[in-house]
Amino acid sequence: MKSKNYIGKIKLIEKINHDVYKLDIQSSLNDCKSGQFVSVLCPNKTLRRPFSICDFDKENKILTILIKLKGEGTKYLSSLKEGDEINFIAPLGNCFEFFKDKNALLVGAGIGIAPMLFLKKEMNERNINNYLISGFKADEEVIEGSDETIVGGSVLDNIEKIIKEKNIDVIYSCGPIIVLKMLSQIAKKLNIPCYVAMERVMACSIGVCRGCIIKLVRDNKIDNFSVCKDGPVFKGEEVLWD
Amino acid sequence: MGLEKLKTVLKNERTSKSLELKTPIIGASGTYGYNSEFEDFIDLNCFGAISTKGITIEKRLGNDGDRIFEVQNGLINRIGLENVGINAFIKEKLPVLRQKNIDFLLNIAGSTIDDYEKLAIIAQENDIKALEVNVSCPNVKQGCLEFGLNPNSLFELTRKIRRNYDGFLIVKLSPNTSDIKALATAVEQGGADCISAINTLRGLGIKIDYVGNKFLKKTVQGGLSGTCIKPVALYMVNQIRQAVKIPIIAMGGISKLDDLFEFILAGADAFQIGTANFIYPSICSNLAFELNDFMTKNNFKDFEHLKGAIINE
Ligand SMILES: Cc1cc2nc3c(=O)[nH]c(=O)nc-3n(C[C@H](O)[C@H](O)[C@H](O)COP(=O)(O)OP(=O)(O)OC[C@H]3O[C@@H](n4cnc5c(N)ncnc54)[C@H](O)[C@@H]3O)c2cc1C
Ligand SMILES: Cc1cc2nc3c(=O)[nH]c(=O)nc-3n(C[C@H](O)[C@H](O)[C@H](O)COP(=O)(O)O)c2cc1C
Ligand code: FES
Repeated sequence: MKSKNYIGKIKLIEKINHDVYKLDIQSSLNDCKSGQFVSVLCPNKTLRRPFSICDFDKENKILTILIKLKGEGTKYLSSLKEGDEINFIAPLGNCFEFFKDKNALLVGAGIGIAPMLFLKKEMNERNINNYLISGFKADEEVIEGSDETIVGGSVLDNIEKIIKEKNIDVIYSCGPIIVLKMLSQIAKKLNIPCYVAMERVMACSIGVCRGCIIKLVRDNKIDNFSVCKDGPVFKGEEVLWD
Repeated sequence: MGLEKLKTVLKNERTSKSLELKTPIIGASGTYGYNSEFEDFIDLNCFGAISTKGITIEKRLGNDGDRIFEVQNGLINRIGLENVGINAFIKEKLPVLRQKNIDFLLNIAGSTIDDYEKLAIIAQENDIKALEVNVSCPNVKQGCLEFGLNPNSLFELTRKIRRNYDGFLIVKLSPNTSDIKALATAVEQGGADCISAINTLRGLGIKIDYVGNKFLKKTVQGGLSGTCIKPVALYMVNQIRQAVKIPIIAMGGISKLDDLFEFILAGADAFQIGTANFIYPSICSNLAFELNDFMTKNNFKDFEHLKGAIINE
């Protein structure tokens, strides 16, 4: 599907914990998939800001994103009101791959839960067995919607046990790079495919500026891949982590 | 498409070599990809041309580490000339440009004079209409910056490329100099048909956070672009205009219609849009439409007349 520049309207803006806002945006965008993201114009900043798609209501054409406060861009977005216009490019990037008969483990660390919630919904619609585990630093940071929520400890602490108990065949994850790296290593050890949604500072968000590059080992060769166009979803085993 | 009024001819009066553009608006090198990357956002018929990502002889992977650092009204990049290399360009990217009928400038960069000569020969062999020579990229450790900042070596470089290439030769100048007039003169005397300017300015981005009794520091050194460099670009274009007769393709912070008028007064004959494409991906065609509307509404017959009016009135 082609990416386009949309002007949407904020249908709902809601503070869902101490520093995360949920935005429902209505526009003419009529399709998108989990793993994809949108790139939002922040008039007070030079660059657009990328956010994972957390939900999409096809019937009403409402897109949901979760915004965690970081700096000036997210502060601006959190100050928007219902009815305000919002300029975004969508849908961007590749998407998660589905496997009909595989048991899926979804791991969301912190705000990384956003694309996992959309992935879970898409899997449920396709009757794919899935289990979403998410981890947060503290109670006031929790975002609802998981099958299991860990507060305080690491989301990876019991992961091997869960993988065995639930007969997991494939893993999907989004979160800080260190979590994605460790999870990929665990998956490799257990010989399970692991898909990770990566983040990089972006300028163009459509693959031309080469600002958001990561290195992958593919066909025994190291090469550059853009997180915005080739990703953000990659196979963990291919990522050159350091 | 109704943009006939915007037709622009860049002409070197001395050699009579010229480049015809559908509109005076060009997507700047490094911000527009290799061919049709922006086609989801614009009608490819509604802007002048694209300047390709800078192409080197060999494929390059570019710099490791952070490549983009945002600043007020601009950004610092240190991509490091990541590109597919000339062979892959000719084999994979050029056919798409030709098939989709996209006018383009082939932007080239090298580490040695020999590299530039080879690239010029390949451009000649492949019948490439216009070459934009990047002698001013600040992001690679060795190489092009040296040619770009010394009038003698720049003259030599331009002459050698000219000998191997018959098409429309544009040399892109660096603003990181105290004497842009000398560089412009060297390029004109070396046989270039046109000058484009400016490339990015050298910049250093620093970010310091104080976390847990410690300063966390991040520094990114690279090329500064975006609206914050516009006054420098206007100055440089104006200086170049005073030094040479060949046409100038101006760039540096262009993001709206008024900017085009300002650059015309400074001496521009055409424009490139860089960083603004990242924020408004339709800007190259939108600006063409806005310019066209302005000219229609105010009875300017063509782009030449508009230029004349801005400069002489
Ligand atoms: C593919 C992708 C999906 C993302 N999904 C979400 C999400 O669903 N929810 C969420 O809250 N955040 C998400 N982020 C992160 C979010 O984009 C940044 O937190 C936001 O850009 C910060 O902007 P700021 O101006 O508030 O902060 P700043 O103070 O400008 O930056 C804080 C940090 O945010 C990151 N950042 C800044 N500018 C950019 C940029 N142009 N592109 C990418 N990262 C940047 C950098 O790591 C920076 O150090 C995602 C990032 C990417 C790349
Ligand atoms: C990410 C990025 C990559 C660039 N790559 C090139 C390049 O390969 N060759 C080149 O001649 N200029 C390159 N430039 C410079 C631009 O073409 C242009 O000269 C400069 O950005 C000023 O214009 P602007 O302010 O409109 O961006 C690059 C600029 C940016 C931001
Ligand atoms: S942000 Fe430009 S290539 Fe990804």
